[in-house]
Amino acid sequence: MSSLAREVAVVGVGYSPIARKGNPDPRRLALAASRSALDDAGLRPADIDGMFHFRFDDDIPVFEIARMLGVPDLASHADMYCSGPSGLTSALAAVQAVASGACETALAIRCLTRASGTTGGLNDDVRPVGGVEQFLWPFGWGAGVLPGMGARMQRRFAEFGDTQEVYGTIAINARRWAADNERAVLRDLITMDDYLASRPVVDPLLLFDCDYPVNGACVSIITTTERAADLRQKPVLVDAMAYATGGAPDAAWAFGDDLLYGSTLPCAERLWSRASVTAADVDVAQLYDGFTHITISWIEALGFCGKGEYRDWVDGGRRIGPGGELPTNTSGGHLAEGRVHGLQFLNEAVMQLRGQCGVRQVPDAEVAVVTNAHGPQAGAMVLRT
Amino acid sequence: MVLDGGMGVTTTVDVGASATKPVPLVDEASRDFWEGARQHRLVIQQCEACRHHLYPPAIVCKWCLSEDLAARDVSGRGTLYTFATVNQAFHVGFVDDVPYVVGYVDLEEEPGVQIITNIVGASPDELKIGMPLEVVFDDRDEYSLPQFRPVPA
Repeated sequence: MSSLAREVAVVGVGYSPIARKGNPDPRRLALAASRSALDDAGLRPADIDGMFHFRFDDDIPVFEIARMLGVPDLASHADMYCSGPSGLTSALAAVQAVASGACETALAIRCLTRASGTTGGLNDDVRPVGGVEQFLWPFGWGAGVLPGMGARMQRRFAEFGDTQEVYGTIAINARRWAADNERAVLRDLITMDDYLASRPVVDPLLLFDCDYPVNGACVSIITTTERAADLRQKPVLVDAMAYATGGAPDAAWAFGDDLLYGSTLPCAERLWSRASVTAADVDVAQLYDGFTHITISWIEALGFCGKGEYRDWVDGGRRIGPGGELPTNTSGGHLAEGRVHGLQFLNEAVMQLRGQCGVRQVPDAEVAVVTNAHGPQAGAMVLRT
Repeated sequence: MVLDGGMGVTTTVDVGASATKPVPLVDEASRDFWEGARQHRLVIQQCEACRHHLYPPAIVCKWCLSEDLAARDVSGRGTLYTFATVNQAFHVGFVDDVPYVVGYVDLEEEPGVQIITNIVGASPDELKIGMPLEVVFDDRDEYSLPQFRPVPA
């Protein structure tokens, strides 16, 4: 038995084309990814009765997607704004809805274009800032969580003796895996020198510590294991899921109780307390990499090594690369596949557990862990065959 | 002018003397902090029930949930917990300021209670985590901003 009320499985994964260039209509991206996932699962739009989108204000709502697909009715649905664990929020909500019986088969989506959110732009909004932002923006904080990421890295340098090169192992690893992923946008290998030479954005945060904004959509379809048994693919069971916020949450991830780890520590503890397996059983890890610091936090929080031990544990990157003991972010993740924003980590885990990843397939993968986000927005799942 | 917003995104904006930095929207909880700053006083909330300090200001104590919060003038001394150097402007009001430093400062009265601020008066390579700092105030048109600088030797 899993920790859920009804046994739940991921039965379909789909993507739109992922591209750096162009200005696609997000409706076409959402439609392409949804149809691709339905086809993967062997389901029809009429089988979908739940739909969830973690999205920014300017991304499309689930009603639009339901209408385009011709879904006759939704028994459970939500457009979820930005206090959840990134795109995985869509799938976590879908799991809860199916497990509870609120719906039978749910479509989880993350669809975004480079035009949405604050991607790389220069803010010219001069209206007064309220809430927690009044204690950040007048100081030039700006740009979401970037200054906090640089500050976290600097603190690890002092507290754990990490160096810039420690972070470089995550960036280099993403490209090694992406080279074997046809969907990935950045498939050229990089060296440590390339990483170190990338532009300092919020020093010590370098450009190659940051995700790569793209246009794209990603869909996961979730239903009961009972229903899954009749579908096209080998079902991948959701063994456990967890959220956490930690104390004193804020949307800028600035003032929470644990700057270095955000809520990854309580989230990981909660996840393992519910799972039927342990960290030692994990064959493949898909750990959010909006910034390299986030991946390192999750590796330590999940207990693959102790706090501050990533530097020695990662063994120059061998541990997380092809053939390593913990193959990590095997799609290239946000850093190299392109930032489709969180849900892609779930899809990659599902395809690894089905054995469908071709050249980058991790042999005999049976257990995967998937995590999203940092600050007070941590979310995670354990999946197994 | 056309600015490189990073990652290949460029934006055309009107910058220069007219570009304004964000102005705080003062509320019930933050009024004492911003009014104090205007008078070059660093004002931090202290809970009358449990005596812990609070930052950013709130209407409920995060430690004991009391609503009995007092505004206290503090020493303005602290130590540098961590920092980062912003090399790329993300708001038009800071285009002429880069590079500048955003830092977390532990307040002397209660280390662990931190203010996020700018570290001024030193280049980033002169900064060291743990170094003593003191408050200074940057007077802007509509408000004053508490920033910190290394304590002179």
